[in-house]
Amino acid sequence: MNKVLLLLCLLVVVPGVQAADQTAAPPPLAAQNVPSPGVDLWNEIRGRDGTDTGQIRTQVQGVDTGVLINKQGQDWREYRMEKLIPNAAIVLGLVALAIIVFRLVRGKIPIRAGRSDHKIKRFSTLQRYVHWTTAILFVALAITGMVLMFGRHIVIPVFGAEIGGTLTYLFKRIHDFAGPAFAVSLVVLVITFMKGNMPKLLDLKWLAKGGGLFGDKHVSAECYNAGEKGWYWIAAIVGAFVVVSGLVLDFPNFEQGRNVMTWYHWIHSIAGVVIMSGAMGHIYMGTVAMEGAFEAMATGYCDANWAKEHHDLWYEEMKDQAVPADSIEQAKGDGLLDHSR
Amino acid sequence: MARMKFYCDAERCIECNGCVTACKNANEVPMGVNRRRVVTIKDGEPGERSLSVACMHCSDAPCQAVCPVDCFTTTKDGIVLHNKDTCIGCGYCFYACPFGAPQFPSDGAFSSRGKMDKCTFCAGGPEEADNSPEEFRKYGSNRIAEGKLPLCAEMCSTKALLAGDANIVADIYRKRVVNRAASALVSSSSLQQTGFQPTVVPPELEGKATATE
Repeated sequence: MNKVLLLLCLLVVVPGVQAADQTAAPPPLAAQNVPSPGVDLWNEIRGRDGTDTGQIRTQVQGVDTGVLINKQGQDWREYRMEKLIPNAAIVLGLVALAIIVFRLVRGKIPIRAGRSDHKIKRFSTLQRYVHWTTAILFVALAITGMVLMFGRHIVIPVFGAEIGGTLTYLFKRIHDFAGPAFAVSLVVLVITFMKGNMPKLLDLKWLAKGGGLFGDKHVSAECYNAGEKGWYWIAAIVGAFVVVSGLVLDFPNFEQGRNVMTWYHWIHSIAGVVIMSGAMGHIYMGTVAMEGAFEAMATGYCDANWAKEHHDLWYEEMKDQAVPADSIEQAKGDGLLDHSR
Repeated sequence: MARMKFYCDAERCIECNGCVTACKNANEVPMGVNRRRVVTIKDGEPGERSLSVACMHCSDAPCQAVCPVDCFTTTKDGIVLHNKDTCIGCGYCFYACPFGAPQFPSDGAFSSRGKMDKCTFCAGGPEEADNSPEEFRKYGSNRIAEGKLPLCAEMCSTKALLAGDANIVADIYRKRVVNRAASALVSSSSLQQTGFQPTVVPPELEGKATATE
């Protein structure tokens, strides 16, 4: 402490002493402030506040070639590695867990009155073709998209870099080519299924009662219940985000820069996880969750008793048009089934 | 162990694009692929400076971190290389890289990205035999295997672009900076002319870098 004080005293006193006999000698070297030309340069290159880069020029033609250091890349790296991959795994895992728990609690939902001998036309042939085209493309995109997201942690360790890389390359190509096709089929799907999917006051009641998912009481619903309408609008709106952002990423030939693409990757990945979560629920409900649900989209006809139990208001409308189950089988055999109905 | 680095001295670079030409010539890269480029800021204004930039062979490389197929390796010399057999051309390295180093030749329909190409520090590829025709076709020259440094830095006419072991490159640059500060300090009478020696070069480092003062 004493030494420090002594030094301070010297610092104050010594210049004073020097000034007295300093008439011709040059000023002490340490007193000069030498500006470093590097400071301004690197501030400008990093694009720090208050810097002016002036006109930037390079002989190399291309997008973003004038950018020396792009800081947004680091943000994107942190987003992808530390936020997207772990959180997507958690969200998709929790949805899968919720479906398993629901299955264990609720079991398979049967047609309580048993199957009737009459069927009701639920989907037109066009609707079924559009649905399955979209569905196949969606599953292909979801699997290949998940490989791009989690592949390094699953595909590469299991198959090795040689085969895993080739496999991922194939998956990436499928993703690139199925994407634009999905964009078209999603637009057609949204138009084809719009009738009956408009939200109504009745849907609030359905939602308030939890859609009859828990407990035995059924809640009134028209052709589509609020759950189905919700999935329709998720597919339409979130799907639009996925499709638009995906097209921006898929076609790098329109001179969009890196930063544009990373922004669209944020949208694409978040919307993709949301729509995959929704799809897991939809696929479960449409296939193994309840008796009589899958056949509606597979054949176009649903069981009359199934309609009565799950879509009572729609059943009241449609019960006059119910046809005997045998006649459908027969018509199919004879090739007489009216597809246009 | 050596840790290979590039450094471009902005006070010396004269934007001759000789490094760009040397790179293209040494590696015979396809059209549209620019492993190295020279960028000028404040062009035509006071404070104009040029910098030559390529892959900086980062210690914690963002491209390596985000690659969905883990195709990057860092060699024992600290050179970041990528395997073109594993690469899927997704462009994630291009998003993450701050220097814009990854390049993509257009491949097939809708100009989708082909296998990524970037500066290899003239060290070829990670998987092919050194200086084999396959390696040259895929990655360009492998001067490191021949005991040479990258051609861009070797050809630099003003020795602005330095390449080599980080310690040696840093030592050369440190000497330049000290010299410049000293010349700025006594702008009227040059200390350099009076035999001013800012640093003493350790004998083991003497003459081992690509460029000397």
